[in-house]
Amino acid sequence: MTKRVTLRRTLIACGVLAVALVVAIVLMALIGSEALPVRASLCAIGSLGTNECGLSRDQYDILFQIRLPRILLAAAVGASLATAGASYQALLRNPLAEPYLLGVSNGAAVGTMVALVFFGANEWSRPVLAFAGALVATLAVYQLARGRAGATPERLILAGVIVTTFLSSVIVFVTTLMDATRIRSFTFWLLGDLSGTTKTLLPVAIAMAVLGTVALTLNARSLNLLMLGERDAFDLGVEVGRVRIVVFVVASLLVGSSVAASGSVGYVGLVVPHLVRLSLGSDNRISIPAAALAGALFVIVADTVARTIIAPRELPVGAITALIGAPLFIYLLKRV
Amino acid sequence: MIEARELTIKYDQRVAVAGVSLKLTPGEVTAIIGPNGAGKSTLLRALNGQVRPAAGAVRLDGEAIEKFSRRSIGRRIAVVAQEAELRFPVTVLEFVLGGRYAWASNAGWGWETERDLRVAEEVLHETELADLSARLMNELSGGERQRAVLARALATEAAFLLLDEPTANLDLSHQATLLTLVRNRCDCHEAAALVVTHDINLAAQFADHILLMKHGKVIEAGPPKAVLTPELLREVFGVTVLVDAHPVTNAPRVTPVHSTK
Repeated sequence: MTKRVTLRRTLIACGVLAVALVVAIVLMALIGSEALPVRASLCAIGSLGTNECGLSRDQYDILFQIRLPRILLAAAVGASLATAGASYQALLRNPLAEPYLLGVSNGAAVGTMVALVFFGANEWSRPVLAFAGALVATLAVYQLARGRAGATPERLILAGVIVTTFLSSVIVFVTTLMDATRIRSFTFWLLGDLSGTTKTLLPVAIAMAVLGTVALTLNARSLNLLMLGERDAFDLGVEVGRVRIVVFVVASLLVGSSVAASGSVGYVGLVVPHLVRLSLGSDNRISIPAAALAGALFVIVADTVARTIIAPRELPVGAITALIGAPLFIYLLKRV
Repeated sequence: MIEARELTIKYDQRVAVAGVSLKLTPGEVTAIIGPNGAGKSTLLRALNGQVRPAAGAVRLDGEAIEKFSRRSIGRRIAVVAQEAELRFPVTVLEFVLGGRYAWASNAGWGWETERDLRVAEEVLHETELADLSARLMNELSGGERQRAVLARALATEAAFLLLDEPTANLDLSHQATLLTLVRNRCDCHEAAALVVTHDINLAAQFADHILLMKHGKVIEAGPPKAVLTPELLREVFGVTVLVDAHPVTNAPRVTPVHSTK
């Protein structure tokens, strides 16, 4: 960990994670309540769905219409949330900053619900309003947390709690405007649920995850300096204001697109960047892209657990990630 | 050359600096002394464009400081301020390489060049931190950390060094080492330094010019012998002092006698 981060090291680490991610996508597609023939499934995935390889019509549909889209969404959501978390942490100099805990996810959830209630027919309205909600929540938390002495970690988390609880009551209010049959699926969605993939939201989430990670990685060296203090970063030549806007907007896009597709999956942005930094060091040039890949892996595995552990019934994936994340948060809080 | 003309800086309605002019010329060390709240640090912050003046102007090599990008200021002016916040584990080498940020061809994502590494190695050696380069910053002592902050500033290869109480955490030997380093930069590398300090005797030994400030105004400016007189020091600090010549260096030596009250 004390070794200096170089381009070579970054490429090796990201290469290993990328291979692991591809393996995980294929393996997890074979696991589920409905057993699929392994060889035929691998053959069909290998042909990218162009060849049925002897799978029955139902098996083919389970693989390509249900499991793979869900797994790809899990990957996009995991990558988005982990990257957003890692960037918030560096920008705000706070190892506890995380989209869910800062209330940003709830902001996006309110945006999504407003879209569902008022523009239900138009699927595009969901990511757009989710992004708007995430951005407003981000700015609100940032303004609340900024004291005379800057944003301390504790102040930031308190501001996050306030914004989260306020937005939760907005969510309850909007829920009452819905009919009873939809409320149950909404509660599920709020906790983070990857089963509701659509043909519009999945490509949006994947595109955002990729573009957002690239955009934030391109600011990683500036974030390295911001991580050690805003004033010092400014003195050393960082355009602090510009980097802050880039991180707030891009992270809101990432959180918005993933919440619109899957609700608020919590703690991914906390658990993943922490583990990445522990094994690869704090240099954002390696930890941001690595967090994206590791986040994708983490949520794919967590979702496979969520949909198989009490099969044929399913848990919301957010329940699994919170189960892992909350104890880690307590551990980190003791060390800050 | 950095030149401040008639600089006035306000925080809301409170005037922190009132009509101060100063010049930092290559090869010279300037010290600012004065009681707490005299506006010393605010003045220093205005010289690299971090604090915007309400009136007056700062010029860097003849041009208004506002015309420079942050990166080009970062290559010309280095600041040594209070300790960095260390909430994430960073090694000393990584920390010092931060000083090369403004030189990167691609600031956001670039990688350190051979030259960056050589410069970092040199300054680590100069600040006696070479053996600690792989250690984590938060495992260092306060004094070691302060030297790392200086090393990072030197790694910028800036022609102007602005130092805000750089010796506050240092022991006797490292105080002298640090100021000798700064002095050498100014003598050999044609750099200029501005040091805000409470240590009047250190200022007397290392500075070519001293700016004596109180309530945001310059009370007196000039070579140490002209500024460090019992009358002026009494006026500014409200303390009776004895000023004699240092037996070895012949610089003015200031010893407080007793409080006037």
